[in-house]
Amino acid sequence: MHELAIAQSIVEAVETKASECKATHVKVVRLKIGEASGVVTDSLTFCFEMLASLDPILAGTQLSIDTLPHRAFCRSCNREFSVMNFIAQCPTCKEWSNEIVTGTELQILEMEFET
Amino acid sequence: MPKITIAQNILAANDTIAQDIHTLLTIRGIRTINIMSSPGAGKTTLLERTIERLRGQLAVGVIEGDIETGNDAERIEAAGAETVQINTRGACHLEAHMVRDALEEINLTGIRLLFIENIGNLVCPAAWDLGEDIRVVIASTTEGDDKPAKYPQMFAISQLMIVNKIDLLPYVDYSLEKVKRQALAVNPNLRIFEVSCRTGEGLDVWCGWLSAFVNGTT
Repeated sequence: MHELAIAQSIVEAVETKASECKATHVKVVRLKIGEASGVVTDSLTFCFEMLASLDPILAGTQLSIDTLPHRAFCRSCNREFSVMNFIAQCPTCKEWSNEIVTGTELQILEMEFET
Repeated sequence: MPKITIAQNILAANDTIAQDIHTLLTIRGIRTINIMSSPGAGKTTLLERTIERLRGQLAVGVIEGDIETGNDAERIEAAGAETVQINTRGACHLEAHMVRDALEEINLTGIRLLFIENIGNLVCPAAWDLGEDIRVVIASTTEGDDKPAKYPQMFAISQLMIVNKIDLLPYVDYSLEKVKRQALAVNPNLRIFEVSCRTGEGLDVWCGWLSAFVNGTT
């Protein structure tokens, strides 16, 4: 439900950057979204396309999303493991980890544009 | 085709405002708590009872977030706290700029503890930093006892969980042990309080913790 607000934040950040770069059209915006960030990527794409269509510089911009898995690091075993259902418990030694390696990202990586 | 690296958090604009809020409140010696829960878990009632108990000991301010109406702000004001109402007109969570605007309307003189009551929702508010010191999630015994497993992000990003309505435990199929086990699985550092805002059970412990929190002795 909050994907619309997230999409709005992306549009604002990209519009600022596009203006700085004197872009006439933004072709691609690349994002990094962690699977534990609470964002549904299909909804985000839908909301982004809707908002982007209101700005000629962003109309038709492709959103390219790299999804990162939720992973944590276990100090006892010195290895990474997949976090299942937000439970960061090492499958080998059963210790809890508070070192999240990936999965919480909500980042704009880069954009390709025409001038 | 030209390409430019942006490498910024999508919510960077929100986070910058949140940091400004945090700095402003910290300089004024105010500790801030963002309270979140599903609708009806008892956020406003907990604040009413808390304000009543802390009256004369600790001046409390409340930023009251609701989609519509000023009903909750009226309740909080009647309980004796400085209050300002934010109506989001449909938005499912509070954002830092709304809190920044609300802070311009509230009289912070003397206030040492500020509550931000978020919109009743266990999903969306988790993503927005409001400049608070800590996040509190309320679970209540009239909801399912599997909320932490169903909405793990909210319990993972909170520092404290309050289980409210424990007076109803004899009448509902709710396992305190289960809700605590699930919450601690997603957040082993979570501090847990059990209260009934109706009977007052557990509220002394909670208010004692709040006083210690404000005085920096937790």
